[in-house]
Amino acid sequence: MEVVRGDRQGRWERLSPRTRRTLSLLGVMVALVAFWEIYKLIWSSLGWIRPVRPDDVVMPHVWDMVIELFRPVRRGGSLLVLDLGSRALWTMREAIVGFLVGGAFGFGIGVGFARSRLAERAFMPYVVASQTVPFLAIAPMVVIFGFNIGIPGWISVSVISAYLTFFPVAINTLRGLRSPDPNSLELMRSYAAGPRDVLWKLQVPSALPYIFTALKVTATASIVGALVGELPVGFQSGLGRALLTFSQQFAVQSKKLYGTVIICALVGILFVGLVSYAERKLVPQRAVVGEIL
Amino acid sequence: MSDAVVDARGVGKIFGQDEDRVEALRDISLRIEPGEFVSLIGPSGCGKSTLLRLIGDLTAPTAGQLTVNGKAPTQARTDRDYGIVFQKATLLDWRTVTKNVELPLEIMGIDGREERAARMLDLVQLGDFGGHYPWQLSGGMQQRVAIARALAFNPSLLLMDEPFGALDEMTRESMQQEVLRIWGETGTTVVFVTHSIPEAVFLSTRVIVMSSRPGRISHVIEVGLGHPRDVETRESQDFYDKVTEVREALRRQEQAS
Repeated sequence: MEVVRGDRQGRWERLSPRTRRTLSLLGVMVALVAFWEIYKLIWSSLGWIRPVRPDDVVMPHVWDMVIELFRPVRRGGSLLVLDLGSRALWTMREAIVGFLVGGAFGFGIGVGFARSRLAERAFMPYVVASQTVPFLAIAPMVVIFGFNIGIPGWISVSVISAYLTFFPVAINTLRGLRSPDPNSLELMRSYAAGPRDVLWKLQVPSALPYIFTALKVTATASIVGALVGELPVGFQSGLGRALLTFSQQFAVQSKKLYGTVIICALVGILFVGLVSYAERKLVPQRAVVGEIL
Repeated sequence: MSDAVVDARGVGKIFGQDEDRVEALRDISLRIEPGEFVSLIGPSGCGKSTLLRLIGDLTAPTAGQLTVNGKAPTQARTDRDYGIVFQKATLLDWRTVTKNVELPLEIMGIDGREERAARMLDLVQLGDFGGHYPWQLSGGMQQRVAIARALAFNPSLLLMDEPFGALDEMTRESMQQEVLRIWGETGTTVVFVTHSIPEAVFLSTRVIVMSSRPGRISHVIEVGLGHPRDVETRESQDFYDKVTEVREALRRQEQAS
């Protein structure tokens, strides 16, 4: 037994890191699907309905959700997966624009606060307050207000994504800019370095790992912001709209809703993956703590 | 008269106010001439690092007069008159060794950076490591890079704050040899803070013995061992006698207080 196990471990170790990563990802996916299907099987054969009713509406088979993606949305319409794909592009545009604008804004606030304790004291409470206001309450207001002054709907949605992005980025930027140890600041002082050099040659590079941590969190938050922001908008594009439509028709269309959820998750993974890729390119390897994707 | 690199007259430094008031230095008078290698030694809390930081204008004196190269310390700092090395190498992790040495040159807008950096790395015998990152080097090598960086812009004064305090004894001795060689080659004036008696004696032309609470200069010992110094110097009777003299001086002031 011992020998066999040791041998297997050896075989796993011999695989390339990339293969190992792919296999573990697949392994988890298989486990999740298995959990879903086994629950469904046991609960329906025993007739249990709690905590979740195992029928084909509430818990359709995983393969049925996937098959549904490759069926027309409606009679004579395009395939669901294509429809959701174009919606995903629309939502991603909103999220990415909001993410970039919010990220830049948050970075600016972080730099401003790092420069001036007074500015930090004066404005921080308002920045914090802005985040305690539930964004579900603000989202329709922003969209309606934007509509009234003639701003395209998708830009209003981006504003909501930006709103969710800027705060974590600002806080982490501030923390990162203050992370260099006193000796390195004294070193810069001994060179009679100006504030700009201290910022760009010491503080910002030191802050990058902190900033990217925030960007990974906000990458997903900006998508949630875009999905929710789409709900009150009149236009029919976007994944948020599809979520709303299919959930209203849950009793007959549950597989479509699940398909949409899968696509939303893929969009999120793709987005975080892009941020991780940028991080690997910009931050020296050693500073990256743990790797997502 | 004012061609001294460091000229301190009655310099004092008090940190804090009222109950938190700590007198770190009292009535320090000291002249350091060009080309000297001066060590500051004393028990912890004697203000030796503070004195070094005053010279570097990293903090300001609260009493007395201090000039560096005949100028106010702030002026000397903005004229980039000195390079500094700390106990920690404080290299920037995201820059290669070469780019770390180039950092002060970039900030000061000095041209021919690559060539200068290469020359400095040769000086500290790390010519082959320019493309490495700091964390790929040993502690001793990192400290060599810090020295190369401090000397890259040709300062007339090198300030070293316990630079070898974190190194093991073997590395420490070879680094001391290196610093003496570099000092001989560059002619830079060095002010060196240490708490190791043999280190102070081996390196210095003059050892300043300090006492604590408040920090004062208690003895000034001319080393007079001659140059070059090497392993044989360390094993000579003269070296041993000087070490004993410094040790006695430290002990006497300890008993006095």
